[in-house]
Amino acid sequence: MDQELILAAQGVRYRYPGATGDALGGVSLTVRRGDLVAVLGPNGSGKTTLLRVALGALVPAAGSALVAGRPAAAWTRRELARLVGVVPQREETVFPQRVREAVLLGRYPHLSMFGAERPADHEAVNRALAQCDAGHLTGRWMATLSGGEYQRVRVARALAQEPRLLVLDEPTMSLDVRHEMELFELVRGLVDRSALAVVLVTHHVNLAARFADGVLLLDGGRAAGEGVPAEVLTRETVERVFAWPVAIATYQGAPQMIPLRRRSDA
Amino acid sequence: MAQRPHLVGLLLALVACGRAGSRTPAAGSLAVTDDAGRAVTLAAPARRIVSLAPSSTELLFAIGAGDRVVGRTTWCRYPAAALSVPVVGDGLNPNIEAIATQHPDLVVLYASALNETAARQLERIAIPAVILRQDLLEHVARDARLLGRLTAHESGGDSVARAVLEALEAPPPWPTSASRRRVAFVVWDNPPMVIGAGSFLDQLAELAGVHNAFHDLTSASATVSLETIAARDPDVVITIADSEDARLPAFASAREWQVVRAVRERRVLTLPGALFGRPSPRAAAAVAELRRRLQALR
Amino acid sequence: MKWVGLAALAVFAFALAVLLGPAHVPVAELLRSPIVRELRLPRAVLAFLVGGSLGVAGASLQALVRNPLADPYLLGLSGGASLGAVAAIALHVGGPWALPLAAFVGALAAMGLVYRLGLVGGVELDPRVLVLAGVVVGAFAAAVSTAIVSLSEATALRNAFLWLWGGLSGANWDTVLALCLYAPLPLAVLFAAARPLDLLALGEEPAGYLGVDVAVLKRCVYVAASLLTAAAVAVSGVIGFVGLIVPHIGRLLWGHRHRALLPVVFLGGGTLLSLADTVARVAVAPRELPVGIVTALVGVPVFALLLRRWTRN
Repeated sequence: MDQELILAAQGVRYRYPGATGDALGGVSLTVRRGDLVAVLGPNGSGKTTLLRVALGALVPAAGSALVAGRPAAAWTRRELARLVGVVPQREETVFPQRVREAVLLGRYPHLSMFGAERPADHEAVNRALAQCDAGHLTGRWMATLSGGEYQRVRVARALAQEPRLLVLDEPTMSLDVRHEMELFELVRGLVDRSALAVVLVTHHVNLAARFADGVLLLDGGRAAGEGVPAEVLTRETVERVFAWPVAIATYQGAPQMIPLRRRSDA
Repeated sequence: MAQRPHLVGLLLALVACGRAGSRTPAAGSLAVTDDAGRAVTLAAPARRIVSLAPSSTELLFAIGAGDRVVGRTTWCRYPAAALSVPVVGDGLNPNIEAIATQHPDLVVLYASALNETAARQLERIAIPAVILRQDLLEHVARDARLLGRLTAHESGGDSVARAVLEALEAPPPWPTSASRRRVAFVVWDNPPMVIGAGSFLDQLAELAGVHNAFHDLTSASATVSLETIAARDPDVVITIADSEDARLPAFASAREWQVVRAVRERRVLTLPGALFGRPSPRAAAAVAELRRRLQALR
Repeated sequence: MKWVGLAALAVFAFALAVLLGPAHVPVAELLRSPIVRELRLPRAVLAFLVGGSLGVAGASLQALVRNPLADPYLLGLSGGASLGAVAAIALHVGGPWALPLAAFVGALAAMGLVYRLGLVGGVELDPRVLVLAGVVVGAFAAAVSTAIVSLSEATALRNAFLWLWGGLSGANWDTVLALCLYAPLPLAVLFAAARPLDLLALGEEPAGYLGVDVAVLKRCVYVAASLLTAAAVAVSGVIGFVGLIVPHIGRLLWGHRHRALLPVVFLGGGTLLSLADTVARVAVAPRELPVGIVTALVGVPVFALLLRRWTRN
């Protein structure tokens, strides 16, 4: 069944002002409803840049970036925020906030300029918190949350936007294994239950291989492989991209990368 | 004449102090105490004087020592003879080098923090400096005598002093009574600044036969609320203008100033700064001019 | 409730401003007295308008540059205003509106210059660049002002600096009317920016993803806050502390959400300035204190008290 195409970036090329080389040299990314796509690659391979271009935050030098069939730049920020919920890598926390207020911020694209929040908005917040298994946190101060709880609340905020596409940029950066797994399970559950499309930028190759429907592997701003994890994550490809000798084992059908030590393992 | 006695007593005391300070410690040298309390000694009467204030320039000419003035500020424009004296600066922040170029043996400064520093700098290069403060008319008399001593023009200094003191003691044109008109000197409009008892303008008012509505303020000037001026209801509002322009000041047409009856009724006097901007030997002329203009307003 | 308390305090401050003054006006004659009708009433209204404007401008700018130490004069506006006023006096420009207009134009020029400098580099209106540009422009303007003063006739210009010290002495119904016609538009822009400013606190990229047009927001907030401040300075000189402290007091008691904070800060700023002006007029009567000194003397202890209460919780 041909699912709706949410995100379609074709051959995008981008160079940051003042940089010596392209950050992206002709990359394509396709995401449909019900897909969980992982974008992988070493540091500096252009993962976050690709997100920014695909979502219209940056204008590519070449190529196209369509969101829900229209060019990303053609959407207003507000309209785009109703379609796409983003959990960025970094966020500032200038002032103290409660969880409920923080998630309520996600309702902004649905609110009128001077209008107050309506019951429908509060219901959306409750739903989002429930989906992220964070309903019990609603009265807590953000600063008192653990790393895993904090990330779940940020995902809830993105879900409160009631988007068709959820984008997460390195969501498990400083989480321990339990919270990492919880987050991946949460995202996978969202895709399975509500046909959400998800783009997940991560450096965690193994979890991506187990949870994602498709992966895009970037290397120096170019695509080193795109498709089903088992096809993309071969030993040759992974070794070339990550510049380190690995062994590939298979676990439950998903390729798992095992970095080797400099002197050959026994 | 109820207010006169204490004023005269004060004048006598000041004059006595002036005489007390004129004892010469060594033969031929002149020692004075200036208005900043500094002891200044000259080996011989000054022959090359740089004057850094319009008031002292005028005073030097008035006592007959004008030919000895070799440097002035750009603002020293009275008397006309002063215009031919070279300019050494604007007097706000003395340029020591420019002053030294004229090889003075005396520099006269007005009282300010910058000038106290300048006086010390001049002393370091062996140029004597006197600091004069002239807020009231009696200070003019005192400084006339002081400059007279320093320039060996004592008779000139004395006659100027006597003229000023006579003007001070002159009887007012009509007996003091409750029917004396009240005036307020407004020197700035936003915020409103008025002249108090510590200024010669207050003295001029008394001599002209009117009462300064803000005589209860001891300082030379003070910021007050506009409503205070309105409440004290002066009969005439007086301002000092830089030029001879007799036009009404800008604030006279400002809406909030109409609450002051004198402004509303256009009973506003604009006095020329040349005669009224500072206490000077021309005090008698100033008093007469003020009286004349007040009469014209009746 | 807090709102009721604030409203009551505002009414109380206004009443004090009308009832108290160096001139004795018996209560029976209050409404008929020209001193009350033409001086105290417009002055009280102006205090509320100016204090409120400074408070809202301060809170908005603190959110814009994401720095709690920002105040309305951070962006060089006071320097530009003083330069405008000094230039007007030095050129002997006449008329009752000369000084306020010149100060306003000077402030706008500074705003434009800082804006232009803020475009330098990649990010438009980068907070750090804005702050630095504001300091530089302000310092430059102050230096030029001082140069003009030192080269010109001393008395009038020294008195001009007294005007810039800040004061509501020039208050009359014409000024009040002008400000009433002028202020609502920039105020409305800032109130409309309340929610986006909450989002901006997360950072520019996250705010953008949440639906905020960050470039437009920054431009609108910058211009609106500057226009409000320029008008306040034009009308009443540079009155410090209100724009810096009232937003913090508001946040301590009402939280950070700007939809509530901005109206609170408008009322609170007006109340503080009105109370300070009453003290300035009455404390050393018949003399009058510069109101900027009183806002500091009143504002700082209030702030310290609230800070203690907050840190104890």
